[in-house]
Amino acid sequence: MTTAILETPSQTKPAKQKVMLVEGNEAAALGVALARPDMVAVYPITPQSSLVEHVAKLIADGKMDADIVDAEGEHSVLSVLQGGALAGARTYTATCGPGLAFMFEPYFRTSGMRLPIVMSIVTRDGITPQSVWGGHQDAMTVREVGWVQVYCETVQEVLDTTIMAFKIAEHHDVMLPVNVCLDGNYLSYGTSRVELPDQAEVDAFMGVKDVNWHVALDPLRPMAVDPLTGGSGGKGPSTFVRYRKGQCKGMQNSLRVIEEVHAEWAQRFGRSFAPLVEEYRLEGADYAIMTLGSMTGAAKDAIDEARDAGKKVGLIKIKTFSPFPVDALMKSLDKVQAVGVVDRSVGFRWNCGPMYQETMGVLYRLGRHIPSMSFIGGLAGADITVGHFHRVIEATEKLLSAPAPIEPVWLNEKD
Amino acid sequence: MANFGGAYNTIAFDANKCDGCGDCMTACATAKVGVGDTARSRIQIVGSADDGFELALCRQCADPKCVTVCPAAALTKNYASGVIDWNGDKCVDCLLCTVGCAYAGIALDAGTGHVAKCDTCDGAPACVPACPHDALTYVTTSRIYNEVGDWEDLFAPGLAGCQGCNTELLMRHTLRRVGPETVLATPPGCVPGMGSVGFNGTTGTKIPVFHPLLTNTAAMLAGIKRQYKRVGREVNALAIAGDGGASDVGFQSLSGAAERNEQILFMVVDNEGYMNTGMQRSSCTPYGAWTSTTPIGKGSGGMPAQGKTQDAKNLPLIMVNHRCEYVATASTAYMEDLYDKLDRAIQASKRGFAYLHVYSPCTTGWRFPTDQNMEVARKAVETNFVMLWEYNRTDGLRFTRPVDDPLPVTEYLKAMGRFRHLSPDQISHIQAKVVENLAFVKQMAHRQSA
Repeated sequence: MTTAILETPSQTKPAKQKVMLVEGNEAAALGVALARPDMVAVYPITPQSSLVEHVAKLIADGKMDADIVDAEGEHSVLSVLQGGALAGARTYTATCGPGLAFMFEPYFRTSGMRLPIVMSIVTRDGITPQSVWGGHQDAMTVREVGWVQVYCETVQEVLDTTIMAFKIAEHHDVMLPVNVCLDGNYLSYGTSRVELPDQAEVDAFMGVKDVNWHVALDPLRPMAVDPLTGGSGGKGPSTFVRYRKGQCKGMQNSLRVIEEVHAEWAQRFGRSFAPLVEEYRLEGADYAIMTLGSMTGAAKDAIDEARDAGKKVGLIKIKTFSPFPVDALMKSLDKVQAVGVVDRSVGFRWNCGPMYQETMGVLYRLGRHIPSMSFIGGLAGADITVGHFHRVIEATEKLLSAPAPIEPVWLNEKD
Repeated sequence: MANFGGAYNTIAFDANKCDGCGDCMTACATAKVGVGDTARSRIQIVGSADDGFELALCRQCADPKCVTVCPAAALTKNYASGVIDWNGDKCVDCLLCTVGCAYAGIALDAGTGHVAKCDTCDGAPACVPACPHDALTYVTTSRIYNEVGDWEDLFAPGLAGCQGCNTELLMRHTLRRVGPETVLATPPGCVPGMGSVGFNGTTGTKIPVFHPLLTNTAAMLAGIKRQYKRVGREVNALAIAGDGGASDVGFQSLSGAAERNEQILFMVVDNEGYMNTGMQRSSCTPYGAWTSTTPIGKGSGGMPAQGKTQDAKNLPLIMVNHRCEYVATASTAYMEDLYDKLDRAIQASKRGFAYLHVYSPCTTGWRFPTDQNMEVARKAVETNFVMLWEYNRTDGLRFTRPVDDPLPVTEYLKAMGRFRHLSPDQISHIQAKVVENLAFVKQMAHRQSA
């Protein structure tokens, strides 16, 4: 029943694929190995740890030819990779939660330097309250920093998207770092059947590595990287503006490139994922619920049951959260009369979920009033069950006939 | 005319240290004529108008008047050694040269009936080690000028340092030495503040250069070096960082890179604070020093604010405890020492982590006249406030310029305004700390070499 908003190419070319049973973290590591990075820097943090352990073992076993740097913290992890990328390396790491917070200083800078580093965020809720469990708060907190951020729904999607992320990041029209977000606990440790692409096929898909054509620290082509700009005089302000505008353009370009890369993936490997926005049973729906990440599985089950019960409800899933797929989402929202948005994190400033906040912006641009409301669930590892989604569906349905509540609904508050 | 325009080694004289004992003359006469007759010495210490002493000795002039006036061509400038050679076979004993020389550097030796002059004992002058007061030194820095002078200066002309700052000197020398196959990291501070990474698209450096963050210099360099190693290219990874970024907020990445023995050369220019941003305190700021965040004031409760209340963190010793490939301290007042260490650090960085800590007096932040930089740097060493040593895992730690008879630390402290307010108690504290630090490093030198 899954239909991508983008027309998917015909899946006529079944590729050689090995079938395995792996957890999401191992799937990510296998994807990394297939993408053949030159350099991986690691620092362990729950629930990411088994991911970097898998990467380390793949390298130790000779199944992956990369330089592994066991750095002394996330701040250095990303800094090592910046240096590597500036010297021409394809680079990868993974982190989450407090690790991402510690990494923030070089994290902000990576997109500014246009370094195509790929980093998994095995999403974890923010502390404090103290917690080691999943939630999107970490990734959401850095959504405004110029990284491309995509969220996966399944373990297979983690594997495939991890490979695609390198191609998206290194596309000359993008040249931005990419976060592949996989839900801590639910995807990191969730074990599923996956199909492992063939290395030669992935090599052909990836093409020629070209990481530092635009900015390099190389004695063969000496340049000053990141000289001082800005201020209020001379060429400073316009130079700074051109840098920033270029970043924003790269972000917008990535929307097209993400679609292209997903289409090519489907063609080569026979598996298609909605690149930006997925619609599920939205045709003929009066209202929709919106989801992000692994919660979507339970949400789809709830939609199926609701549809069976005669409710005209559909689902909109966001895969690409940054840049926010405004046009794609506008087209989907235009098909319904009300929407309920389920977030796995909070937006402290608006007292709602961050994705809901973004959606309100899209609704404004749509220019047609659609009642909407915010649901917050699955914080700190809590499960969002089919039962929770039925509550979401019922509450959203009420928007068709009653005023929308301003307060968010906290799904696990009384669990 | 080989080496025309080159530099030569010279014998230098410090009149302040000379007490006229004459030991140098005895040594010279013994070396040259076999008897300790000071009248026949080619170096003569004579009374000066101010009741001190001055030196009568051949200066081995570049434009020697003795050579010009000699009618027999018996005196010639040797452009290989720099020495004015006297040829007895040609000399006609007219003594015109003794009149031509303004320094009384050539004189009649009554014992032979001919003129005699200093020939520097072929580069090992006997007078220098004979001086019990270190008033004579044989300056061999010409090596640096001659070797390095023709190498390409890899910085743009006119870096925007403060007047009298020695860091530009250090940067230019270091880059010349390391050469163009280098990637240079200059984290926020005085070094990029001088324009090494440039402004608005222009660069101050002819090799690849970048601003790391203040916090991640060692980590970024490690990534660069590793990738070049992976693809089989020999590229030096060099940091020229300030003490703040290294000892405070950047310490974690520094320590991590040292522990991983990354093949980089990390040079810290220690001006004992955040001088580029307005002279704030760092953990390398010494006890009692004024900085803009450890200001002087009346305080409260009868406790006046009198500068920094903690002792400096000794970063180079901490690096020794990482068992780095090479660790050394250096000073621009001792360039030969610095160059030796730079050579060894570069070599060590091809094997693992090399750390060079260079003390860098700051005219602006330490408050001393702009022509006093080298003097302040020298006084720091002569008082043992700063110790020059080096470490490697095989030979342990050793002093490279031990100061056995140090000046009181007040000789150093009084040279600058940042210590002007010190109370007698504070001075005692600093002097005691100098003694304690020396004892500690000595013990370490002993233990590591044992």
